[in-house]
Amino acid sequence: MQTRLFLPFLCSARNRLLGRGAVTLKTIPLTLLGLAICVVLYVITWRAVSYFHAQSELGIILSMKIYQMAWITIFIMLVFSSMIAGVSTLYLSKDNEIMVAAPIGWAELFRMRLLTTFFNTSWMVLIFTLPVFAAFGTVFQAGPLYWPLLLVTIPTTALIASGSAMLLVILLVFLFPARRTKDIIFYLTLCFGILLYLVFRLMRPEDLVNPEKYSQFVEYLAAVSNPAGPWLPAGWTANLLTVYLLDRQIDWLLLGLLLCTPPVLVFLGEWLMERFFIGGYSKSQESFGGYRRFRPPRQRSSRSWIFRKELISFLRDSREWSQFFMIGALVVVYLYNFKVLPLESTFGSTYVANLISFGNIGLTGFLAAALAARFVYPSIGAEGEAFYLILSSPLSIARFFWYKYLFYVIPFSLLTIVLIVVSNHLLQISGPMWWISLFASLLICWTVVAMALGFGAMYADYHAENRSASLGIGAVLYFFCAAAYLLVILLTGFSPVYRLVRRWIFHRGLPLFDTLLTGGWVVAAILVSLVIGLVVSRRGISALQPK
Amino acid sequence: MSKDVLVLKQLSKQFDRLTAVDGIDLQVGAGEIFGFLGPNGAGKTTTIKMIAGLLLPTGGSASICGHSLTSESRICRQLTGYIPDRPYLYEKLTGGEYLNFIASLYPDTTEPGRQQVRAEQYLQLFDLHQWRNNLIESYSHGMRQKLIMTSMLMLDLPLLVVDEPMVGLDPKSARIVKELFRKKARHGTTIFLSTHSMEIAEELCDRVSIIVNGSIIASGDIDSLRQDPSLAGKNLEELFLQLTGAFELQHVIAALREDSAGN
Repeated sequence: MQTRLFLPFLCSARNRLLGRGAVTLKTIPLTLLGLAICVVLYVITWRAVSYFHAQSELGIILSMKIYQMAWITIFIMLVFSSMIAGVSTLYLSKDNEIMVAAPIGWAELFRMRLLTTFFNTSWMVLIFTLPVFAAFGTVFQAGPLYWPLLLVTIPTTALIASGSAMLLVILLVFLFPARRTKDIIFYLTLCFGILLYLVFRLMRPEDLVNPEKYSQFVEYLAAVSNPAGPWLPAGWTANLLTVYLLDRQIDWLLLGLLLCTPPVLVFLGEWLMERFFIGGYSKSQESFGGYRRFRPPRQRSSRSWIFRKELISFLRDSREWSQFFMIGALVVVYLYNFKVLPLESTFGSTYVANLISFGNIGLTGFLAAALAARFVYPSIGAEGEAFYLILSSPLSIARFFWYKYLFYVIPFSLLTIVLIVVSNHLLQISGPMWWISLFASLLICWTVVAMALGFGAMYADYHAENRSASLGIGAVLYFFCAAAYLLVILLTGFSPVYRLVRRWIFHRGLPLFDTLLTGGWVVAAILVSLVIGLVVSRRGISALQPK
Repeated sequence: MSKDVLVLKQLSKQFDRLTAVDGIDLQVGAGEIFGFLGPNGAGKTTTIKMIAGLLLPTGGSASICGHSLTSESRICRQLTGYIPDRPYLYEKLTGGEYLNFIASLYPDTTEPGRQQVRAEQYLQLFDLHQWRNNLIESYSHGMRQKLIMTSMLMLDLPLLVVDEPMVGLDPKSARIVKELFRKKARHGTTIFLSTHSMEIAEELCDRVSIIVNGSIIASGDIDSLRQDPSLAGKNLEELFLQLTGAFELQHVIAALREDSAGN
């Protein structure tokens, strides 16, 4: 196999990793964070599997079922992500002008794109699944061959996922233009993710440990004992490893199937590439949509234009607006959790409901902070190289920053109000807690949006290809600061709010002292939020000023 | 084998509802510098991309050194060097690594090692040799342009297809490029270039074609174009404006000049 096409990939990786400034102060905490995540994944999986394993036969079967489902889910996720990456690398990659114009065979190009896509899409999955599967091996006291089997099966399964995805991509792009194919796959991936999330939440996994649900035990046992996905390569891997975990025997047929599939996929891919690639590539340059006409613009103020520009950029980029599906699913599950809470209207439950409502301030704030990290934080960097237009215009940076803030704070406030009002309604909250939760959530929302914008300005990445790609160390820092601020507001407010609400529930009155105490907290929270919001915004504005 | 290096017959390209190139015919001989002129959006880059093998034509045919661009695409690509107007370069590669990579894509079986020698000469000529071990991400726009020129010139291929060759080059490098193109043409290399600069076309090209709305409206050397009585005595810019229907612009320019003289 010729390796010349791998030269840019390998040299770039070497220059990036070994070049000057490759290891900076930023990389150390990120590496430590990655390691910490691996350890946490290992510990959580180990504890969960140990719990199941310590139960009866059913526990072992259930843990094996989870093991198989994990393999299949990871495999499907890899297929989808490889399909999106495959469209980009095979058809939309910037270096295609060099590759396609050069006298190379399409089969050689396919092998290079397959292996680089496999590497780019799988490395993170490989790193983070290893602790999960290792925890299973530890709990089941796997035999010595489990570890080499794992090291062979994880990359092989990932390679099969990438290979199958690339074959589908070649066929799809031949039928549809590449950009449209990328969008179609993206929506499918999103729907798959949302479906997985909804199914997982709506089937209420906590019921599995509820003894009252064991009435259908025989059917349940029959269902969970079936081998998983015998037609999926991930099913072969899962079955091969579960057989070894339980009986210490290797199913040579499954292992053979796993090892033979990648070369077959490469052979098929090369054949498809020779037949369909150049047609698809030529078409991929045609789907520019430049013939589409839009309404002529009208004269408006600079604030109105900044609002419109943000909105238009967001709505005309399908990768951005399709995130609304995800937010929709998040909101549904969020509110569903309150709906299924077992609350009866007694004094005790009113007290618990009020307690939950207070905790809900934190949850809503956390959600606002997370969404701000995704949408508000990258919004300054999203100006890209065109930011010089703002810098060189008579519009001041502070005003530009303020307009951006106004644009994002309105929908965030609406979302917060919806979440708080609906969850308070489901929790049957009334009285002071209703107002306190609404006030605190809005205050947190307004502050975290300002913080996201400020940190986004300080760490703006004007070269990121899209918003999700621009979430770097600044985003992590923002999130830690937002979480710390959230904790400060909640912890300082807990005691006065607790006193006030308790008195109100049991005595139906608002004593002056408790009211004043809560009022003091409200004033202090407003001041703290104002100071934090203003300081971060000012630092963000000064970071944007021309140096 | 045909004497013409590049032959286009009724070459067409349709993008959805838009006809970008509408049945163009061209023959370009060995050692000829051929200029492809036209206003923005006329179809120049689309034609060049079809010749470079990056776009498939929707009609007609093209051949390079007698080989069909459709059925013998790989041979055609072996014979053609393509220099785009906005070149993509691997940011994390050094200039030297990039040149080695390009050389590996166009292996020279007859004279191994010659490409590297030529690359060194061109790097010296373009004042890039001291930057060859620096990452491309640190290069200026002009340096990138010179690097991609080096990468294609070092291959010594029979056909060079160049889209806007002088964009971003300083006067010294632009002069070197012009001289290099002339030298290459004297040694038999065919150069097919698109440009907006009438000076370059007039100074460098043996023949030109003017494309408007996907169709060639005039073709030949500058003198033969001037044989039309209405175009006699005009320079290439005036010829271009007249032929592309932008001559009414002259009235606007005249009015602006009068206006500024009055002020």
